[in-house]
Amino acid sequence: MPAFIVISKGTELLRIPVERLVYISAEGNYSHVVTQDNRKTMVSFQLGQLEDLIGDQLGDSGGNLVRLGRGLIINTDFVFSIDITLQRLVLSDCAGCYHELTASREVLVKLKAYVEATHRDNG
Amino acid sequence: MAKKNSIELQDDEFRVIGKPSAPEVDSKAKSRNLWISILSLILVAGIGAIIILKWPKEVPENPNDGIFENNPEVVIQGSKPTPLGSQTDKSYTEKIDTIINDVILSLYIPHNATPELTLGVPDRADKSIIFAAQAADIRKDNRKILGAFVLKGEPLAWGLSKKGFCAIIDSVVTVGVSENSPLFEEATEKDGYFFRQFPLVDNGTLVENEPKNKTMRKALCSRAGQIFVAVSESDESFHDFSQALIDLGVENAIYLVGSHSSFGWFIDANGTKTLFAPDVHRGTYKNENYIIWR
Repeated sequence: MPAFIVISKGTELLRIPVERLVYISAEGNYSHVVTQDNRKTMVSFQLGQLEDLIGDQLGDSGGNLVRLGRGLIINTDFVFSIDITLQRLVLSDCAGCYHELTASREVLVKLKAYVEATHRDNG
Repeated sequence: MAKKNSIELQDDEFRVIGKPSAPEVDSKAKSRNLWISILSLILVAGIGAIIILKWPKEVPENPNDGIFENNPEVVIQGSKPTPLGSQTDKSYTEKIDTIINDVILSLYIPHNATPELTLGVPDRADKSIIFAAQAADIRKDNRKILGAFVLKGEPLAWGLSKKGFCAIIDSVVTVGVSENSPLFEEATEKDGYFFRQFPLVDNGTLVENEPKNKTMRKALCSRAGQIFVAVSESDESFHDFSQALIDLGVENAIYLVGSHSSFGWFIDANGTKTLFAPDVHRGTYKNENYIIWR
């Protein structure tokens, strides 16, 4: 798997270590890239465009980054808790990085199953 | 950047990025197109085959397809004769998560295993037990089993306070609702098992029950010949839980001892054992009983 994701457009370039990418959220035609140092960087790409870009760069070696509905791309390595009832997803490294997000119950059920399955496969 | 992404997601959809072969990828549209293609091919192939074979002249005769002496399809309620989608010989419990009307359910489907009841807590070290859940309740006053109970042909209790029943005879599970079921006697005659619990669903109809509290619910269900256990992942009333089972297509269901402290476990396809609740079990009730698959 490549060590970095490079997001380049016009005069701007963003280079993110894959394992430091926590999540990307959509905001209209823009997206916010959040990294482990709690930095939030706005990029002028739609979330779907970023998904394509990341998919191209990761090739078949992905699996940790998943798209949740219309609004989120997350790194499953940072999944700390999923509360389907409260529709709450917490991404954390249990150190200084902590983000509470909301998502639909249906997508959280799928994420929970995916995390359980990958945990079993890796365990 | 050229836009090529394809399929935008809805809020309830999930997609793994950069791993097209991932098993959990949920791409409805892609899947739909794939199925349409497959079905189209099957349809074309089917029409071609019919023409070639000049159907119906050469359709092989089936002795069971007569008009007057036909052989109706037998619906077997039980896990043993039903493959439940598994193509392996491995014994394990398949877990499926779903949401029905805002009720979050986990469905546990035992594969390649035989059901039975046990008295006392099953041996937790016994890896052959791929599913265990508390079955009948125990009376508060005398700690005896609540409702009729048969253990390997031996009747241990005769109560009728709960109308739901489960019979396991010749390894076939039957779930139903009845005040007097002949399966109680049959279980005693055939070394079978029998217990009673709250009825939840009777032939697709919701059965109301007295307790109105909300807690984690567990049910033994039959649906289209399959037997499985459904567990609510959140606190639910009897009514909402039963309605969710009906909406899932469950035909008959009875309650299993639920709540957050009810004991039990399942072993998945990877051999991983997972407890239904934190291991706070006291193990002090000698009449504690379980339905297990091994």
